[in-house]
Amino acid sequence: MKKILFAAMMMLALAGCKKTPVIPAADLGGGVIMDPSLTDPSAYRISVSQPNPTPAQAQIPVIICCHGYTASTFEWDEFRTWSNGTSKYYIDQVLLAGHGTTYDAFKKSTWHDWESSIMDEYNLLVKEGYQNISFAGSSTSCTLLLDMISSGFFKVSAFNFSTSTYNKIHIFLVDPIVIPSDKNLSLIGALGPVLGYVTSNNAPGEEQYYYHYRPEETLQQLQDVLNQVRDELQNGIQLPDYIYLKVYKSIRDPTADPVSAVLIYNGIKTSIGRNIDLDFVNSDIHVFTRLNLVPNVTALDRQNQIYAFTDITTRIFQ
Amino acid sequence: MVKHTYFLVLLIMAVHSANAQSSILDAGFRLQQTVNLYNENGIALSYSNKNLLPDRLYFGFSYATSRLGTAFSSNAIKQDNFLLSAAWYFRQYHVIRPFVRLNTGYFSADYGEAIFNVLPRSSALLSSDFGLCFQTGLPLKISTSLGYNFITGNGLSGPGTLFPVFYQLTLSWNIFDHTKLSHHRALPQKLKL
Repeated sequence: MKKILFAAMMMLALAGCKKTPVIPAADLGGGVIMDPSLTDPSAYRISVSQPNPTPAQAQIPVIICCHGYTASTFEWDEFRTWSNGTSKYYIDQVLLAGHGTTYDAFKKSTWHDWESSIMDEYNLLVKEGYQNISFAGSSTSCTLLLDMISSGFFKVSAFNFSTSTYNKIHIFLVDPIVIPSDKNLSLIGALGPVLGYVTSNNAPGEEQYYYHYRPEETLQQLQDVLNQVRDELQNGIQLPDYIYLKVYKSIRDPTADPVSAVLIYNGIKTSIGRNIDLDFVNSDIHVFTRLNLVPNVTALDRQNQIYAFTDITTRIFQ
Repeated sequence: MVKHTYFLVLLIMAVHSANAQSSILDAGFRLQQTVNLYNENGIALSYSNKNLLPDRLYFGFSYATSRLGTAFSSNAIKQDNFLLSAAWYFRQYHVIRPFVRLNTGYFSADYGEAIFNVLPRSSALLSSDFGLCFQTGLPLKISTSLGYNFITGNGLSGPGTLFPVFYQLTLSWNIFDHTKLSHHRALPQKLKL
C-alpha cells in the first residue's frame, strides 16, 4: 500500500513540474526563427498584397492554402513555386495562430484559434471583394475546414449580398486527419500532464519549419478537434450546393491514419445526396504535396504531387 | 428423431452434471468504450470448471461491436471484436474480487465501399485487462475492467480504428445455478467483504 501511495505521489509531483524544453535558436519555436509570413505578409497573403482588387481581379480564384498541426506556411511553398507566378489564380498562404512563432505562443493556442486564422482570412478576402475563393488544406487544416462546413460558417460568410447568391467554394483536403496514426494521442488526457510535451521526428532541415516540441496542451487541443469533427461526421454532413469538396489521401500515412478518409467519405454527402470525390494516392508520405526536405523522394512521389496540383488548379474553374 | 432426442437428453444431463459439480457459466452483456473512439457492445460468456481451479480460472468468449454502439444509426465505422480469454480471479468467497485477463481474437471493420479495399480492415487482437468483479447474492456478477490492446493500427498497417485503451462493464448471470442463489450464498460463512 505504501508503494502505491509513493508511486501516486511521484506521479503527482511529476505532473506538477514545469516542463519547458530548451529550444535551439536555429529551430522554429526558439524565438529567433519566425514564419516569413509574419515579417513579409504581402508575399504570402493576397489580402495584404492586393487589398483593393479591380472587378476583374475579384473574379480570379484565390486558393487559401492552410497547413497542418506544428507546420507553417512552408507546407504549401511548393504549390506557389509550381504555380510559377500564374495570373490565372492567386495563392494565399495562411499561418495558423500559435504556429511559426514561439513555443509559448503555440502552447497557449487552441484549435479555435487555429480555425479563426482561416476564417479571418476568408472573411477579409470577401470583405475586399474577392468572389471566387477556394481552400487547399493539409492535415489538421482539413479537420478545421470540415468543422467550418459543419458549423455553418459558410452559410453566413459565403453569401454575396450584391448578387443575392452564394459564392462558389472549392475545398481540397490533402491527407486530412480525423483518426491519428499514432494511437497514443488518444491517451493524451491522462499522459499529457505527466509528460508536459512530446518530441517529433523531423527530418534534417525541417526543424526550421515544423515545431519539434509539441506541448501537451496543444496535443489535447488536437484530440479535441478530432473528436469534434468525428462526431460531426458520425451525425452526417450535407454539403450546400455552392461547396465542392474533394479528398486526396495517401494510402499509407504515418501521421493521419488513412481510415480518416473512410470517415469523411461516409460522413459527407453532396447537396444531391451523392458521395464526395476521393482519390487514394499510392504514397506513404503525410501531406504528399510537400516534398521539400522529405528524404528519399521517388519519381512516383513527384508524379503524385503534380497530379494533385494540376487537379486542384483545374477544378477551381469548374 | 431418436438421435436428436438422445442428444438432447445427453445435453440436459451434461448441464445438470455441471451444475451438480458447481461449474460456472456466466452469460451476459458486455458494454465497452474505447478511449477517444467508439462505444461497442455485445455479449460475453465466461466458464469455470469445477475440476480445474474452480471459480478462479475462467475461460471466456465475447463479441463486442460498434453496430450495437456508436455505429447504431450513425456514420461511424461498423466493426466487430471477437475475443477468447483466460482470466484469473483473486480473493475467492469475497464480494469484491480483482481479476486479470488475457484476451486474443479477431477484429474486423466494414468500410462499406469497394474503394476502401486498399486499406487494412482486419487484424488479430491481443489484449489484457484488469478490474473488479462484484459478486452479488444472486448468480449475478458485475465486472468492470480497464484494458490495453497490444495490437493497434498505425497508419501504415493495421485497421485505423483499432485503438489501445478500453474499459468495459459486463453484467452476467450464472446459468448453471438453478437455485437462483450463488454458491456464495450457499456458503455464507465464507463470504467476506
